[in-house]
Amino acid sequence: MFYRLSGVHHANYVSDSRIFKVPADRNLAVFIFLIGLAAPFIIPSLYLNSYMLPWLIWTAAALGLNLVTGWAGQLHLGYAAVMAVGAYSAIHAARFGVPWEFALIIGGLTSSVIGSLFAFAALRVKGLYLALTTLAMQFVMDWVLTHSPAISGGSHASLQSPTLAFLGQDITSDTGFYYVAFGWCVLVTIFMLNLKRTGLGRALVAVREKDFAAAILGVNSFYYKILAFATSSFIAGVSGALLVATFFFLAAPEQFSVTVSIQVLAMVIVGGLGSVIGSYFGVALILLVPGLVNGLVVTVSEGLGMQINVETLAHIPNAVYGALIVIILLIEPLGLGKLYGNIRDYLMVWPFDQFKK
Amino acid sequence: MKKFTKALAVFSMVGGAMFGTQALAEPFKIGICYDLSKAYTFATPQVAQAAQDLAKLVNMKGGIGGEPVEVIVRDHGNEPQRGIECYSKLSREGVFVFDTLSTPVSLAILPRAMEDGRILMQSLVGRGDAVDGKVFDWVYPIGPTYWGQAANDVAYIKQLHDGDLSGVKVGFVYFDYPFGQEPIEILETLSEKEGFELELYPVPLPGSDQAGVWSKVRRDKPDHVIVWMLGGAHVVASKEMQRNRIPMEKYISVNWLNEVDIANIGTDAAKGIKRGTNVVGGQDVALFKEIMTELYDNGQGSGPIEKTQDVFYNTGLAMYSIMFEAARNAVELEGLPITPTSYKAGLESLKGYDANGLMAPITVTAEDHGGGGQTRIEMWDGEAWVPQTEWISEYGDVVWDVVKESSAKYEQ
Repeated sequence: MFYRLSGVHHANYVSDSRIFKVPADRNLAVFIFLIGLAAPFIIPSLYLNSYMLPWLIWTAAALGLNLVTGWAGQLHLGYAAVMAVGAYSAIHAARFGVPWEFALIIGGLTSSVIGSLFAFAALRVKGLYLALTTLAMQFVMDWVLTHSPAISGGSHASLQSPTLAFLGQDITSDTGFYYVAFGWCVLVTIFMLNLKRTGLGRALVAVREKDFAAAILGVNSFYYKILAFATSSFIAGVSGALLVATFFFLAAPEQFSVTVSIQVLAMVIVGGLGSVIGSYFGVALILLVPGLVNGLVVTVSEGLGMQINVETLAHIPNAVYGALIVIILLIEPLGLGKLYGNIRDYLMVWPFDQFKK
Repeated sequence: MKKFTKALAVFSMVGGAMFGTQALAEPFKIGICYDLSKAYTFATPQVAQAAQDLAKLVNMKGGIGGEPVEVIVRDHGNEPQRGIECYSKLSREGVFVFDTLSTPVSLAILPRAMEDGRILMQSLVGRGDAVDGKVFDWVYPIGPTYWGQAANDVAYIKQLHDGDLSGVKVGFVYFDYPFGQEPIEILETLSEKEGFELELYPVPLPGSDQAGVWSKVRRDKPDHVIVWMLGGAHVVASKEMQRNRIPMEKYISVNWLNEVDIANIGTDAAKGIKRGTNVVGGQDVALFKEIMTELYDNGQGSGPIEKTQDVFYNTGLAMYSIMFEAARNAVELEGLPITPTSYKAGLESLKGYDANGLMAPITVTAEDHGGGGQTRIEMWDGEAWVPQTEWISEYGDVVWDVVKESSAKYEQ
């Protein structure tokens, strides 16, 4: 009824390798893309600026982590550090006078180089050991940022970002920032959607499932792991740079601390490993829900005329938020993306779901 | 028909009530975006409670220029992203005076406040070079910067040594991240200028292991130890000092040392511990007594009374007394309604204001947004804080050199 399908049947390889195997999915994606394009005109600037914009940039970042963790199956606890490398090198480049287009690429490449250099060492170990090694990278980066004023921008460790400009055009309006974030997020999304259709994507999945089995099939697992780290680091670097350029306007070590690394990992896990749409949901939950729940609790308590102590008021949303994560993972351990998938599958041939799906 | 008129009457009454309240004076609002749930909870509840109590007191006395005041407290969990959300939301609701009491969030809001022309109060947090009003038009870090505070600590040590610091050894124990590293530059400059020997002792976060640091202090035998740490780290430090038999009198803390820490160290064991401060500690303060009789004695307090027995509560009273006084000045200067520009003028006309003996007198000017940066050293005598100096603000030239050097980088 909703999907106007009797099931998904492929008659040839072309249809099997389409990005959207169900036309309704494609239509939905186009519809959401159009909403995204029209957002500055239909969404109040507060929501555009404080919710949509960080949501899109963090989604791009989370997709990058999903590449390494969801697709290639390598735990990464130092993702924020990689974002920091990109952010700081891009801003320093821009402050040096390099146009932003190149500064962003420099940021991405620096991240990529440092991220994969580190992976060279880290990938000699696997699983939880790798996770700990990446955590070490995070601590190294934290230390570097708090101990080198030349990088972090003086004794306050805050580095002002120059005005963002593309093609000689200064970007200063909320709408402009939004479109930059939107464009980057769309780019990364398209890349990730296409990834599973490529040899690289299939190799990564093979490495994830069993790296020595992949090796037997002729997939050089070490090479593909490094490639996954390099690509994801590039996405992280550019996302980090854009986060500072369009949202924070200055870089500070706290924006890329270990808690942030864990938050991004939480976004990916709650959203669903290896799920593109899941990353969108996961970021929304981890990044936006605390603020929204906070606002909700405040409004409700004010509406009911309750005299709640400010401290209690601050902790209720945290409890609600924590409970929410636990409930979601109990209902569907594979994350929000899978939850969405379940609903979609249920509706796929509804109301004739007695037939084969 | 009767039913209809009745409904109409009720409707108009409800409507009248709704629109009537809107037609009333818009209160002067202060946006308090605080970290009430993560890293800064050692101080934010007390400060927020002080702000709410003070707002109640101001309203009881008829508000400011006849208009009520309102403080809106929100939690941002020390996350820059949520701080920006809080700022954007409240500023669209007409709030133009903000306080964050969190360095990361203050840093994140600063570029927006500068762009939007909103007042960012950032007493005791954020970038210290924001006292340079020529660069940071809209930012007011009223109170001492960490640079000024460290310089005043040195001035106090100089007093103890009869004005001659040559041959004196000063240790600096600090959290090894920007908060703790900030005073190093000033201390190094002063050590060159005054000829005292400076030893640095970085403490890794979160400061729960300081064994190595203090045994090194024991070996080096500095005459004084200036300490830039927070909360529980003071307790750990005092335990290590006892273990290494270093007398408590050597300990000069940054302003972040409160009664809770003293209780955790042990009121007797803490005897002799010193701290720099810009507010009067304890309960013997006129404003504090007034709040007690007007609010807490009538069950009108904004929180538990225990929270008021804390120097950070007094700190909060000081911060918000300044903000409300500036609003009064703004009304006096340019009348109602208070606008960002008139409020700015109000702030910059504060002269020698000390909230009736609650804090070091401050004088804010267009150049100096810090209000002079006076502090004094207090010592815990086992029961109360005893002032060791007058309100002092020394080495202004050295501090301002650092301020200018740093603020110049922002302008680039």
